[in-house]
Amino acid sequence: MNSMSLEDKLALNKYDIDEELHISVNEDICRTCRNRVCLHICPAECFKLLGEKITYSYEGCLECGSCRLACSKGAINWTYPRGGFGIAYQYG
Amino acid sequence: MINIIVCVKQILDPEMPPGKFKIDPESNKVIPPEGIPLVVSPFDEQAVEAALRIKEQCGAKITVVTVGESSAVNAVKHSLAMGADEGIVVEHIIEGYDSLLTAYILTKAIEEIVAYDLIICGREAADWGSGQVGSIIAESLGIPVVARTRKIEVMDSRLKVEHIIEDGDESLELPMPAVITVSYEIGQARIPTGWGVISAARKKIPSWSLEDIGVDLSQIGDTSSRIKLLKLFTPTRERGCQIIEGKTAAEAAANLALRLREAKVI
Amino acid sequence: MEPTKFDAVVAGAGPAGCAAAYALAKAGLEVLVIERGKFPGAKNMFGGMLCGSVLAQLIPNFWEEAPLERYITRHVITFLSREDSFSIDFQSPSFGKPPYNGYSVLRAKFDKWLAGKVEEAGAIIVPGLLVEDLLWDGNQVVGVKAGGEDFPASVVIAADGVNSLLAQKAGLAEELSTEYVSLGVKELIQLPSEIIQERFNLEDDEGVTQLFDGFCTRGMHGGGFLYTNKESLSLGIVIQLSALRRMGVKPADLLEEFKSHPGVRNLIKGGTVEEYSAHLVPNAGINKVPMLYKDGFLVVGDAAGLVLTTGITLDGASFAFASGMAAAETVKLAKQNGDPSRKTLCNYEKLLKESFVLRDLETFKHSQFFLDNPRLYTTYPELICNLSRGLFTNDGKPRKRLWQLARTEMGRQKLSILHVAVDGFLGRRAI
Repeated sequence: MNSMSLEDKLALNKYDIDEELHISVNEDICRTCRNRVCLHICPAECFKLLGEKITYSYEGCLECGSCRLACSKGAINWTYPRGGFGIAYQYG
Repeated sequence: MINIIVCVKQILDPEMPPGKFKIDPESNKVIPPEGIPLVVSPFDEQAVEAALRIKEQCGAKITVVTVGESSAVNAVKHSLAMGADEGIVVEHIIEGYDSLLTAYILTKAIEEIVAYDLIICGREAADWGSGQVGSIIAESLGIPVVARTRKIEVMDSRLKVEHIIEDGDESLELPMPAVITVSYEIGQARIPTGWGVISAARKKIPSWSLEDIGVDLSQIGDTSSRIKLLKLFTPTRERGCQIIEGKTAAEAAANLALRLREAKVI
Repeated sequence: MEPTKFDAVVAGAGPAGCAAAYALAKAGLEVLVIERGKFPGAKNMFGGMLCGSVLAQLIPNFWEEAPLERYITRHVITFLSREDSFSIDFQSPSFGKPPYNGYSVLRAKFDKWLAGKVEEAGAIIVPGLLVEDLLWDGNQVVGVKAGGEDFPASVVIAADGVNSLLAQKAGLAEELSTEYVSLGVKELIQLPSEIIQERFNLEDDEGVTQLFDGFCTRGMHGGGFLYTNKESLSLGIVIQLSALRRMGVKPADLLEEFKSHPGVRNLIKGGTVEEYSAHLVPNAGINKVPMLYKDGFLVVGDAAGLVLTTGITLDGASFAFASGMAAAETVKLAKQNGDPSRKTLCNYEKLLKESFVLRDLETFKHSQFFLDNPRLYTTYPELICNLSRGLFTNDGKPRKRLWQLARTEMGRQKLSILHVAVDGFLGRRAI
């Protein structure tokens, strides 16, 4: 089985994407953060480094909540998306 | 207070991942994706929304009608949860997309409901997109129809509507009863509230058979004689990427313009 | 007049919430279930196996109608080194008879079915709505707030899963810590059923579970798993979040690495990925089970951390069913007594202490400490694989006895007899 990119895997999933974000980061804290756990802990890789800045997207979020727990600085504000939105597993 | 009938259709979720849309070439049919529930066609949701706004404006009783398999009751429930008052399921599976047959069954159901001043439909269903049912119902009932309406106002026994045309809007007045079709211009359909879902869950939704409403399929003739689906397929999309070079940004831009002209894009 | 107050509002339509709601609705109570997913099951994922014995108490003969994938008749445990694998394989046709020992299940389908049973029983389910807060009257929980609306209830049952907002809002649970949860990532890989049966030596609806220990987690506390479904495989890894955090490895990369391991890649050959999912699993065991009740409030399932992890068993579903059922018994009692305060609700904890739920967690209370031992994920799997390689190698050199091979390999792994003795002792206590 050929290796598959994460983007292609996420594209298989069914999402109902809300206009409201359910993830945000505190940029002031992120700027001073050294270990930047969010960059690798997220199974959907929602957090990316752009230059020196942590950027994030919420559309591919699998709603596991790992980022919220793993960020020891409390810089990630992750909540559940509004009811009815976000990931909708077909198989689960 | 007026009586409004809204026609809704349950369809495959248009928001499903593109890769999950599969066609069986043998039978020329869409293979329903496993585990993705059917939804109310978005324009039909907007039809319910339009009716609800009239209800809020001047009072109305909204009855929702659908034709489909037994699971279509969920489309009615969704509409009731949004705020519609009553709902009816006509149980009949329409193979393919015979608009005439759909409209015929809906017309019979509407005649059975008897009291109606206004019938609202979605502009077209988001699956087959034929966009004919509303007009055929109006024709069958012998009442006026305005398609693609962005605003509906009830004035006594008349309607004032804004209707979208190619390069602007038209303001029209028409008598009731009438058929109106709407799409996204009407504005976002509301999400059902929790209590809306609860009261919808507590309502009994009658299910009618074709005999109940006096539909005689032999009257309307064989579907296959009217419409024959020759081939159902997903178009192949080709994508490419070219990086336009240039010594300076200005030169690159000029080259890009040239390339776009060659490709007849500009 | 239709009631505007419920006997119970259940937050979450997973196994725990549905079990509670089903039992309550069957007893004629007014029950409301609020589920944040677009449909019940939409947000739910697990590795793959459900033990049915507890559910059978609630819905007898459920296997005749539930959307189950395969009944599990074969269990494999595989140790992985970088390239090699060593498996223990147990297969028993006796597991293939009703009521069956366990089933592979796809949660989006199964939970939807279960929620349908709950509705049939007379409860109302509102999907697509997120419970945001609790309603209070002094110290008593008197309902929930969701989508800006109030839903009053005599008792609120928090079945809102591992990230339980409500248990925290009720002041029962602390914020989760990364040492006490694992992250599971999984792919659903489609394969024709004939190929699955042939490849895994199965008859018709028989299924296999395969657990992997070793290289697949790069030494982190956790493991890999494979479950056969009707026409697909559930393949994934579970890793303790704190370890993942420390190691700086991306879970998606780890899963790709696992899929390309020689011991795995041929099992999934020819399959197409259909879904990629992730979920947290509480793994603290009894040590972190919060206070389970307060006035007008009960916590069940994952929300209460009721999951058993022993390294060989990873079971949350049975605990979810059982805790949901115990919660329902308690709410029935509260209805009878007309008293939803803690005086009645403490009965819930009593029931859980009497049942396997808290007893199993007590029995295996040392598991987590044992499973935190890195040797389990590096030294031992490698030792087993290398030892086997030594045993089966024919290279024309003089052969060694097993014991000699073991001594050499232990030396290479810097593993002393003392280590083995200590780990053996801890293991005996833990699993």
